[in-house]
Amino acid sequence: MEILTGNELISGATVYLDPQGNWVEDLQQARTFGSGDKAERDEAVAKTKATMRILSIEIEKVVLKDGQLYPERLRERIRATGSTTPVFDRQHLTEDGHVSI
Amino acid sequence: MYRYDEFDAAFVKARADQFREQVGRRISGEMNEDQFRPLRLMNGLYLQLHAYMLRVAVPYGTLGGKQMRKLAHIARTYDRGYGHFTTRTNIQYNWPKLVDIPAIIDHLAEVEMHAIQTSGNCIRNITVDQFAGAAADEIIDPRPIAEILRQWSSLHPEFSFLPRKFKIAVTGAPNDRAAIKFHDIGLKAVTNGAGEIGWEVWVGGGLGRTPMIGKLINSYVPNTDLLAYLESILRVYNRYGRRDNKYKARIKILVHEEGLETIKGQVEAEFAQVRGGVLTLPEEELDRISAYFAPPTFASYPATVIDIAREKILDPAYGRFLENNLNAHQQPGYVSVTISLKPIGKPPGDISADQMDLVADLAERFSFNELRATHEQNLVLPHVAIADLRALYDGLVAAGLEAGNVGEITDIICCPGMDFCALATARSIPIAEELSRKFSSPQRQKEIGDLKIKISGCINACGHHHVGHIGILGVEKKGGELYQITVGGDATENASVGKILGPGFEAEEVPDAIERLVDAYIARRETPDEPFIAAFRRLGEAPFKEALYGNA
Repeated sequence: MEILTGNELISGATVYLDPQGNWVEDLQQARTFGSGDKAERDEAVAKTKATMRILSIEIEKVVLKDGQLYPERLRERIRATGSTTPVFDRQHLTEDGHVSI
Repeated sequence: MYRYDEFDAAFVKARADQFREQVGRRISGEMNEDQFRPLRLMNGLYLQLHAYMLRVAVPYGTLGGKQMRKLAHIARTYDRGYGHFTTRTNIQYNWPKLVDIPAIIDHLAEVEMHAIQTSGNCIRNITVDQFAGAAADEIIDPRPIAEILRQWSSLHPEFSFLPRKFKIAVTGAPNDRAAIKFHDIGLKAVTNGAGEIGWEVWVGGGLGRTPMIGKLINSYVPNTDLLAYLESILRVYNRYGRRDNKYKARIKILVHEEGLETIKGQVEAEFAQVRGGVLTLPEEELDRISAYFAPPTFASYPATVIDIAREKILDPAYGRFLENNLNAHQQPGYVSVTISLKPIGKPPGDISADQMDLVADLAERFSFNELRATHEQNLVLPHVAIADLRALYDGLVAAGLEAGNVGEITDIICCPGMDFCALATARSIPIAEELSRKFSSPQRQKEIGDLKIKISGCINACGHHHVGHIGILGVEKKGGELYQITVGGDATENASVGKILGPGFEAEEVPDAIERLVDAYIARRETPDEPFIAAFRRLGEAPFKEALYGNA
């Protein structure tokens, strides 16, 4: 299972594509793509690139763990929550940071 | 310290205005990220895991109270109230927003600072001995030459797109505190037979995935010819350095693959062409720049011996600070004081905005308004009267910056690692914090003595792990973190690269593994004064390998 993630242009905040086509802060709201969804996934990437507002777009593997989306890579788990030490809340979107495709 | 002349000020302002306009075009959508990325990187703006990161240059680690207060203001206004000093003596902000970057750069320009050439395949910020202009063992203050090199290398049209980044370090003292043998070019002040001071030139050192000790390419280059000689090296590198593979593009690979004699011949041929030309450095220009670095007007004190033993009885923490955090000064009655940015259990190199303001106050009150950033991620007040030490210490206590652990096992170099860095493959700060807590006892640290631990969160080695007496490298393995331990590295004039003694360790195993190395050293050292690195060189790998992995 895969999700799309990136960083929003203005704030640099970590964001995820949700099922409605909005780029949102919460990993748990991310749209998941199965093995048969490659065309939709790639179309979403292309549409996102066209906005020029999301950087470092990545396809990340996730699993369901206790009903929650759980990135396979530690790096992605840190991106989702913020630095582990010193503990800082993750970066948040600013008012002008909402991007949709 | 050096002050911008009209050219410098106009140039930095023009560059700030230019970048403001570029940021505006990026936000408005006139420019895409592929177009903008190289522009932001040339202005020190990276994108990390959670946010942008702005890397601000601190030229040769030298700054004053005015600069430090401005860095505090930026941290407080545009970031999360702190900054992180790096192993390149720069400061990084981890949480700025793109819209705020032009304002931040304007603020920096107000105090003669910028973020230019803190990224990209160009000549990066030049580093020097942190005790430059103060150290008792110094032959010459390296900062005037570093400033001249800064002017020469800033937006040098021929060297703005080198095969890879290029780092230069300079020491004016025989005791190398600037790690010159692990730089693309290292310069060390030396005296020739006529008593004139010039420079040993070392080339092809570096860390990263292929650590190499620099090689002596010229044992004496006079000031007059230094720019021409360095230009010759850069020209040879620019011409022949590999561009087909970024991992083999540093000058160390060129020197290694072609051989020192070949490179030397090419440099000498180039030097023969450019020597005596426009790059000749007139003595009067060196004198003009040197005037900016003239020593302050010191008070006249007799040579003063600090009774550390007495002070340790009266106030153990203060006594420990005196024992570890002072460096001998050229001027009788003065010392250089290192401010440790390594409080127990905290990220190495971090400093809050409030602490920055207090450090600026202390620099103005006690050190002729001079401050230095060190490649070991500490700060230095270079000129402190011994008579002022107690008042200074009390000021540091008020700022929470009184840690007396400089040079001890908790004075750890550590990169940001995977908590922040997009390149990292493992976290490094949690390891540093855990080790700091494990060895927090002052008595234990005193027992261990001089032992440098350096931690990197990936093979790029920003945490200098190869040259730690004990080095720790975090790597990714099967989706988790694994830590390789190296032993025997040394960044000084006795340069050596640490050796991997066996398989890596899980994060939670690292502190105990380090303690086993420490205990093996203590058990086998000839005297309590024999440092870890000396004992390792005498004993070899075997006892340390056994300490880590047993007899199996």
